[in-house]
Amino acid sequence: MVRDYNNRHALEQKLRAAPTPPAADHLMVGHWRAVATVLARSGQEETVQRAIASVPEFAMRFSAPAEWLVISEAEAPSGLARRLEELCGAMAHVIDLSDGRVVFRLSGPNGRRILAKGIGVDLHPDVFSSGGSANVLCGHIPINLARVGEDVFELIAPRSFAESLFDDLMRMGREFELTAAFAD
Amino acid sequence: MTGYRLSSGGLVDRSKSLSFTFDGRPLRGFAGDTLASALLANDQLLVGRSFKYHRPRGIVSAGPSEPNALVTIGSGARRDPNTKATVAELYGGLAAKSQNRWPSLGFDIGAANGLLSPFLGAGFYYKTFMWPKQFWERVYEPFIRRAAGLGRAVLERDPEAYEKSWAFCDLLVIGGGPAGLMAALTAGRAGLRVIVADEDFRFGGSLLSTSETIDGAAASIFADRAVAELQSLPNVTLLSRTTVFGWYDDNVFGAVERVQKHVAEPSAKLVSERIWRIVAKRALLATGAEERPLVFGGNDRPGVMMAGAMTTYAERYGVAAGKAVAIFTSGSAGYRAARALSAKGISIAAIVDARAEANDQAPDGVRIIRSASVVDTKGSKRLKGIVVERSGFEELIACDALGMHGGWSPVVHLACQRGAKPIWSEELKAFAPPDVGGGLRPVGSANGVYSLSGCFDDGAQKAAAIAAELGFSASLGASPVIDGETASSFAALWYVPGAKSKAFIDLQNDVHAKDLGLALREGFGHVEHAKRYTTNGMATDQGKLSNINAVGILSGMRGVSPADVGTTTFRPFYTPVSFGALAGAARDEHAVPARKSPLHGWAIKNGATFVEAGLWHRSAWFPRAGEKTWRESVDREVLNVRANVGLCDVSTLGKIEVFGPDAAEFLNRLYCNPVLKLPVGKARYGLMLREDGFVFDDGTVSRLGEEHFFLTTTTAMAGAVMSHMEYCAQALWPDLDVRFTSSTDQWAQMAIAGPKARAVLQHLVDDDISDRALPFLAARKIVLKTGVSARLFRISFSGELAFELAVPAGYGEAVADQITEAGRPHDICAYGAEALNVLRLEKGLLTHAEFDGRVTPDDAGLGRMLSMQKTDFIGKRLSTRYGLTAADRMQLVGLKPVDADKDMRAGAHLLKEGTKPSTLNDQGWISSAGFSPVLGHAIALAFLKSGRERYGERVIIFDKLRDQEIVAEVCDPVFVDPQNEKLKA
Repeated sequence: MVRDYNNRHALEQKLRAAPTPPAADHLMVGHWRAVATVLARSGQEETVQRAIASVPEFAMRFSAPAEWLVISEAEAPSGLARRLEELCGAMAHVIDLSDGRVVFRLSGPNGRRILAKGIGVDLHPDVFSSGGSANVLCGHIPINLARVGEDVFELIAPRSFAESLFDDLMRMGREFELTAAFAD
Repeated sequence: MTGYRLSSGGLVDRSKSLSFTFDGRPLRGFAGDTLASALLANDQLLVGRSFKYHRPRGIVSAGPSEPNALVTIGSGARRDPNTKATVAELYGGLAAKSQNRWPSLGFDIGAANGLLSPFLGAGFYYKTFMWPKQFWERVYEPFIRRAAGLGRAVLERDPEAYEKSWAFCDLLVIGGGPAGLMAALTAGRAGLRVIVADEDFRFGGSLLSTSETIDGAAASIFADRAVAELQSLPNVTLLSRTTVFGWYDDNVFGAVERVQKHVAEPSAKLVSERIWRIVAKRALLATGAEERPLVFGGNDRPGVMMAGAMTTYAERYGVAAGKAVAIFTSGSAGYRAARALSAKGISIAAIVDARAEANDQAPDGVRIIRSASVVDTKGSKRLKGIVVERSGFEELIACDALGMHGGWSPVVHLACQRGAKPIWSEELKAFAPPDVGGGLRPVGSANGVYSLSGCFDDGAQKAAAIAAELGFSASLGASPVIDGETASSFAALWYVPGAKSKAFIDLQNDVHAKDLGLALREGFGHVEHAKRYTTNGMATDQGKLSNINAVGILSGMRGVSPADVGTTTFRPFYTPVSFGALAGAARDEHAVPARKSPLHGWAIKNGATFVEAGLWHRSAWFPRAGEKTWRESVDREVLNVRANVGLCDVSTLGKIEVFGPDAAEFLNRLYCNPVLKLPVGKARYGLMLREDGFVFDDGTVSRLGEEHFFLTTTTAMAGAVMSHMEYCAQALWPDLDVRFTSSTDQWAQMAIAGPKARAVLQHLVDDDISDRALPFLAARKIVLKTGVSARLFRISFSGELAFELAVPAGYGEAVADQITEAGRPHDICAYGAEALNVLRLEKGLLTHAEFDGRVTPDDAGLGRMLSMQKTDFIGKRLSTRYGLTAADRMQLVGLKPVDADKDMRAGAHLLKEGTKPSTLNDQGWISSAGFSPVLGHAIALAFLKSGRERYGERVIIFDKLRDQEIVAEVCDPVFVDPQNEKLKA
């Protein structure tokens, strides 16, 4: 029933055009991605981290001490928050942010060069390795950046900034003919 | 001087002929030429007119220090004024124009300034145009602006794109000459992440213009091989056409890359220029050394050129600067130039050596005149001969070009941009780079090492040392074998005595030797004063050639060492950088990001006009057919909310979720009013103070669970409140077990306000939302009929019966559409930020127009909110200061005009009737004003001295900006429904 109620993605206007075949450098936008913030209670940081890390379909992104963004491609938004609450019990507070965040995935050989136009963090794999994440600014926009593969970066941005970030990323990728489409 | 292309040689591609124009004249050059080398090859000697005297000027250098050959390249909006022809890469179709001449380069009326030159000495403008004062703007300034000035600024919109990029490396090598390339090779082979930046379009620096051979091959071949090897290393990045212009804190370097300034048809995919911010663990200053010009009579005649530049034109570009070249030198490089030119078949008229003796070898058969000097030059727009003086005897020597050499100055600029001054070295007879620590080290010629082998060794050793510091092991390879190397020395010669005509120091700004004497006589002998007084070094070249001679001349006149004179201050940028590049991509609508509400689409469908509020694009009003002004729309929206119902997007408010067993205690200390005992399911208005007792922000606090609170902040202060909370939690009260995070973007929040609000909302929910079940200030988690989880608050910013409904952002538009649909029978309207403002104004509710940082809770009429019985809260202590409790503070009041048709505006000041407007008589100010459609006249909120005691009194509203004074009556700030009957319906 929830799904019948038209859920409007922040980039629906931008990505409405017929998708072009993805180029080597491609920006994928998660259409319906479950995202939640988990805040560990005092003294529970390690236990919570271990508990969430033990679930293979959850991906954890560090966003502050004892605070993570957890994303899941398998779960629906409310389902993710519920599972996390069950998992963490009284050890942590969980907030569903699926509607408040837009998940971008930038893949391709020039990802680092594209992101360097907006992000003042060294993205060399020796410094920012796979699995690493950080809250950074991309231009003026606060995002959580993670490296999820050798040539794959994930950017989690506040929904209200999504259009601006999308425009910025496409401009930053213009010299590499970056393409973009919804993931699903 | 007769410039021409040599029949062979040079690094230009003679198979690729390029056509270009200069002042409309079609000319041809080769790929690999600069505009300057191509002009010289076409015997175009006169390239510009000087700034002040409009004297004819020719090319002086072969690099970025060029003072004369400034041209405008391109046309229309793509026009680039003040481009140095000596660094502008030639491309097919390039169209260059000379500057600072009228009506033409050959015949310039402004040259008459030269005849007036006795009256146009240094400081002339300051002295002559002082008075009468009113003449300055009307007469003097327009005259000076027309007469003096270089290229014209482009006033059209810049069609080019620009961007910025970060880069990180272990080692940044600034300059791709012999020292830089060798350092890069050493570090690159050892595995360091290396960036090599060079402003030229071809790497090699002096290797491209020397006749020395390396390992049996031309030096340029060595450079090409080095570049090929560096390109093959994945850890090395080569940035050509990239000028490192600044050195900043934390060893961050600024650089500008001219990505496609050198193409006729720029690709739409690429930017024109790119700014790099390079974060380097270590950097090497391999910027080389600048050749010094000589200050002698007539030294600005077209055809007088740096000897090294002549060599570069011959060796690198295959261009001869003249058919009979004379050399005037105080060092061995003059002889080296003579040998190089002679080897290319160019005749050497004579070598005039200022020194009494030297071991340098002249080409066979060339006459050397020692202990001699050039005192004048002959010719008008091109050099025809030089007057040489020796032991009191003058001799005219015919020549068509003169190469001058006065020694070398290390290019120290970057190392001196963060406060350190260059150090005078008696040994080098130059200012050497200061020791600025390990982050940036000079190497090669920039370090005063002038021999090729010395540069190679210095580069390799410094790079190896850096590699070791960073934990890499570098091996020093065998030094390249150099053939043809000769020892290099020079004598410092700041000024050549006996000048028979003007001896220029700063060619671009027309400063000659006598100007410095005048500056000294008038008390401006300090190097910084002399610079301002004479304008020496103040031109676009920033005195790259002239400053050292000015320092030398000042030291001579003052009888002190150059060390005591010192240098002027080095600041970024090393060479001019376009504004476009500095702005990067941040322009027009991309200057700042736009934040869009989840209801943006709904607002567009309902015809909203948007307003930018901070980063947010908020719906401001919703015009309907027939409404001609924004006021008509706003009045209708307000009246409809008061009579029926309206829907407003309030998603932009900051939203923060607060959790934890100590959440209530935390918030109790954060807000000045009590929060500790707020029951679950209830909301409360909350006021935060700063430590100094003034209001920081206001909003609502709702308790959604025993350990879960939900705060709203004002749109503008959302970020600041979040930081404030982080500070309190982390620094002030780390013992409290509280966690919080922003959920601003998660929720689409709408206000449904008006007498019919409940009826409309009931369409969406099954829950009982009657006043009994959901009284004023109730806060609930609910589920809409459609299954969407939501939050419902009974709060009001309009004074009407109102609900705020929050749904997950993705559903916002659908829910707003549904409310709009369901509300149609109830005459619902969409209302925007303007109507919202009028509604709150009518109710005397406050925003940051009132909370401007000078207002206490009591000033705002909220004194009862201060809960002084709480143990502590932010702002408690300083709230009791005498000044903050004084009875005559400005207090919030309402104002209504005595004549109902009069308008009031925020910002106007208040006066007692019959008093003169003055700061002393100031009684207060209007913080917000608007038209109340309910009352039919303007209303305002104001801060008035002891205002609450003055209801009924008349005050003057003094509005100097609009030049009006009106009389208003002081009243209670709540204009509509003072008993709040509608709110609690």
